[in-house]
Amino acid sequence: MRYREPLPDGCPPDAAEEISTTWRVFRLARTNPPTDSDFRSQRAAKPSHRFRNVTECQARGLSVFTAQKDAARALKLPSQRARLLCRVQLEAGAGHIQQTGRPSHHTWWPLVEFDILARCAMEPS
Amino acid sequence: MKHIRHTNTLFHYDGPQVFEARDAIGGHYAAVLAPSDGVDDRYLVAGVNPERLRQFRSGVLDLRSLIVESEEDVRYLATVADGLDHPLTLERLSPSLMDEELLPDFDFVLHDDPADDYVLSEARARNNLILELAVNPPEAAEEHRIRMSTLAEMLLRVQAMIRHASRAVRKEHPADRRQPHHDMMDVVVPAAAGSFRIVLEAAVFPDLFGDSVLAKALQRIDALFRNTADPLETLEAARESRGHLAGAYLRLLRFLVDRRTGLRYSWAEPKSERTSHRSVLQAEAGPLVEVLSSVTDLGHEAVTLEGTFERFNRGSGAWGLLTTGGQRLGKVRDGGPSLDGLEVGGRYVFYCEEVIEEVDITGRESRTLYLNRHKPL
Repeated sequence: MRYREPLPDGCPPDAAEEISTTWRVFRLARTNPPTDSDFRSQRAAKPSHRFRNVTECQARGLSVFTAQKDAARALKLPSQRARLLCRVQLEAGAGHIQQTGRPSHHTWWPLVEFDILARCAMEPS
Repeated sequence: MKHIRHTNTLFHYDGPQVFEARDAIGGHYAAVLAPSDGVDDRYLVAGVNPERLRQFRSGVLDLRSLIVESEEDVRYLATVADGLDHPLTLERLSPSLMDEELLPDFDFVLHDDPADDYVLSEARARNNLILELAVNPPEAAEEHRIRMSTLAEMLLRVQAMIRHASRAVRKEHPADRRQPHHDMMDVVVPAAAGSFRIVLEAAVFPDLFGDSVLAKALQRIDALFRNTADPLETLEAARESRGHLAGAYLRLLRFLVDRRTGLRYSWAEPKSERTSHRSVLQAEAGPLVEVLSSVTDLGHEAVTLEGTFERFNRGSGAWGLLTTGGQRLGKVRDGGPSLDGLEVGGRYVFYCEEVIEEVDITGRESRTLYLNRHKPL
């Protein structure tokens, strides 16, 4: 399997689920339509940053919410207010996903072959 | 110049969006990520009242109110240049620079649904795992009272179960070994009103994503208490947790029989949707002890050691093996494997079972390793 971003050994973790059924997840995008840069990991965005309490594996995944209301909640924060809500349909071949917090926050490690933008639709926030 | 330290992330999305922090003299702060204006992350920071911070964690106060209506009418900006594990320097923000752009919208709350019970509500408010224990020994029948020895021993026995369950989790999930080995819980409410209830809180906060070995350990313990009315089903569950966890469970049950009390417990994490409740009645504890005690090796844990053979006392059956973790001493039972032919200084694998022989009142366990078989390395 080749992931969208280089991952450290043991990443995704064993607890992550290989996506084999359809998942509907939400991510915040800067533009409509979204671009590849909206699906960059924290590590890709900040190559030399030290992340507290986040493993390198998590820093190289993408934050998504499985509940639309939780993604909409994030839009109320000053750093995310200008963003737009985007729904992505994940299917077999999308990579691995793991719940990594509350309320419905997940980390997604996409495979390089998975065309994210083709499966992305904007949602009213 | 004020400095604060990140203590707890409260909302994460591509990095910490909202976190709490403390200063050198224990003051509480809330921080929210500001819109980016350069390379480094900047946070709007406000000193906050601990009770209002607790209300925000519980979901009954919104973030903007927490920040805007803080006691101290001063806000700060903190720029994160070296990561959040370093102290952050606060720059006082001139009121004229305090504009809407830096503030969250009015109704950003951490939880939409109110907690429906005390344990979940407390877990959210403390942003930590909460475990509530309740016992009903005879002395508690008439008044709010418990023997000191009963209380102390119950806490030690419950803590021992949690410790063994945490070790079992770490053994099976290598990723969890990275979490700090803090399986201890602190008593935070010594005697809640009602029955004789004790409220404990995890001694350390869960990681950024709210995951803790302690929660997984409690899930294992839940399995042992799933159907305490059915000794055979419970025996199957104990077999699943064969080893020190099952042994600690049996010792706890014997203690309940001895003190003529049942046990109820409830626990929740901040991210839980509901509280987990389990119990064993006094009347159930006896049959459980009887059935579980009939399985002689239920509490024995398999241990494999690799190291250099150091010594063997034929008379006592005692042996010593020097491993990378230090010297390990053990015994050979009557009828156990022969150590004749093993060379002192040679390297071997020892397949043993570890038995906890006794637990004293301080919770210290006396363990013995019995050799089952060996082979050269």
